[in-house]
Amino acid sequence: MAESRKTIWPLLLPIYLFTLVFVFAPLVYLVVLSFMTRAEVWGAVPRLTLDNYKRILEPLYLRVFAESIRLAVSSTAIILLAGYPFGYFMARMSPRWKKRMMVLLMIPFWTSTLIRLNGWIIVFRSNGVLDKFLMALGLTDRPLKLLYSYPAVLVGMVYALLPYMILSVYSSAEKMDWSLTEAARDLGAGRFQAFVTITLKHTLPGVLSGVILTFIPSMGLFFIADLLGGNKIVLVGSVIQEQLTKGRNLPFAAALSVVLFVLTSLFIALYRRIVHTGEPEGLY
Amino acid sequence: MKKKWLGMAMALLMAGTAVSGCGGGSGADTQADVPEQYKDLKGTSLNLYTWADMFPQEVLDGFEERYGVEINYANFDYDEDMLAKLEESEGGDYDFVIADDYILELIWQEGLAQELDTSKLENWENIDPRFQGQFYDPKNRFTVPYGAGIPLIVYDPALVDIEIDGYEDLWDPSLEDNVALIANYRVIDGIVLKTLGESFNTEDLSVIREAGEKLIELAPNIRAIEDNNTQDLLVSGEAAVAFLYTSQVYNAINARDDLKVVYPKEGLGYGIMAGFIPSDAPNAEAAYAFIDYLLEPEVSADCFEYIGYFCTNKAAEDDIDESVKVSLVLPDSAAEGEFIENVSQEAEDLHAEIWNQFKSACD
Repeated sequence: MAESRKTIWPLLLPIYLFTLVFVFAPLVYLVVLSFMTRAEVWGAVPRLTLDNYKRILEPLYLRVFAESIRLAVSSTAIILLAGYPFGYFMARMSPRWKKRMMVLLMIPFWTSTLIRLNGWIIVFRSNGVLDKFLMALGLTDRPLKLLYSYPAVLVGMVYALLPYMILSVYSSAEKMDWSLTEAARDLGAGRFQAFVTITLKHTLPGVLSGVILTFIPSMGLFFIADLLGGNKIVLVGSVIQEQLTKGRNLPFAAALSVVLFVLTSLFIALYRRIVHTGEPEGLY
Repeated sequence: MKKKWLGMAMALLMAGTAVSGCGGGSGADTQADVPEQYKDLKGTSLNLYTWADMFPQEVLDGFEERYGVEINYANFDYDEDMLAKLEESEGGDYDFVIADDYILELIWQEGLAQELDTSKLENWENIDPRFQGQFYDPKNRFTVPYGAGIPLIVYDPALVDIEIDGYEDLWDPSLEDNVALIANYRVIDGIVLKTLGESFNTEDLSVIREAGEKLIELAPNIRAIEDNNTQDLLVSGEAAVAFLYTSQVYNAINARDDLKVVYPKEGLGYGIMAGFIPSDAPNAEAAYAFIDYLLEPEVSADCFEYIGYFCTNKAAEDDIDESVKVSLVLPDSAAEGEFIENVSQEAEDLHAEIWNQFKSACD
């Protein structure tokens, strides 16, 4: 064992180096930058300060964080509710249909998310597809203002991230030994009981990776809120972007990023404690 | 009409002298109208760096054809991206950059632009003096204006019951959930300051705070805040009133001629886009040739008709199509305008904060 570890070490070196240079180093840079002072014109000067973090404690930015978390939690919850049954039933399909479903899930990825979101604008906007449909059905008599609202943003988030949940749940449900549920039923468990004690338990790693894959991006996908929310829902991502560009305050943007990073990690840790699952499916 | 004939005769005469001037030398040269100092440019390339879609394709093709110079057109989305790029390359990589006025001031302070040798520019005199000598370059040392923007209010009279003649009207309760705004916080905070009779660039934090409070009151009327294609909201009927950038005003009017344009009575905001040659430009000569080419009246007119900004070339005004002249040639009444300039960090931070407060209040 010790011998094989020694021989494998040089092979792993590139990966360690890659991680060090492209993951660890930028993080260190980000943290260091967040304690610096903004330069007069562009960039930062190495005068250490805590002001950037103090500023985050202002009610305005606390509200922005709260808003981001609210949107991330609510979209993750909807995605979980919709994605779990989808992934579960997909795993129970015949191999032929599994393949077909997989292709159908993958096709949207051929087009950029941004372009697909613009499709939603066409659906939601005044006198758009949905408006015309509702009016044709006689349910409404004039154009509704559907776009640039919280529900529109939520639809965009769910739409953009749903496939990740479906695929995670599917991959863990697919690997499940279904004879276990049969055994549970034989031993007297009801359908529901068998599902909770066997199926749900075995698919939890898939759920966990699905939650990670949707929650983390939903904290940062500010362009969805910008496009479908008409810039009226301010998320941490938009503030960071604005501080980097129009605000030219790099250290403050870095501090916001660090707090976002820590918050997201905390949420994931908390979630793992609650569901008591070991490793998320396929992520490590 | 007479004037036009005279102009044409002059042009023919000048073309004649130009041809005979170099006729003795290179004979049947395809680059007949290329001035002597630019002959060596053939085969080189010009690295152009500005927003996307700043020139009609014919204008770029025309330059490439005449000078034999290949144009590499690189884009940025924000002025700040350009500043960051030039800081990194220490004024290198690009030969000609066009950006907004306020960032140009920083470019000069940082030493990222080179002083223009205007003696190399035959068409320098064509520039409309109203757009020269501005705050970012008071002595016209390094910039050439390329279009001016004045954000204006445009509205659909069929959907609006009131008469709109200034920024103040945007607060009218009848416009609830019906106003679209561009997403530039200095501009939006600025128009609030104008309604208070203050300058865009006030350093008085209490005045800025007062403007912030007034801006929050505008929140119920906001339909969307969007920087790109904001005019679509107005054209499609998503919003009844929009405060738009000049090029968007131009596009809105071209799409629907029933829309009304308002030059707000409280005062206008000026913005000028101008080009400069970076301090360490690899092919500055090509940039001079390009600037001179852009300043030719016909080329200039084509450009402004394409980008939809106010014409900064006095000599080009006659070449601009009559039907669009209204929105491309600056009216005399526009004289009372003000630029948005860089303010202190405290003021800038406060503006950003007010803006985020306002956006959150719109939800």
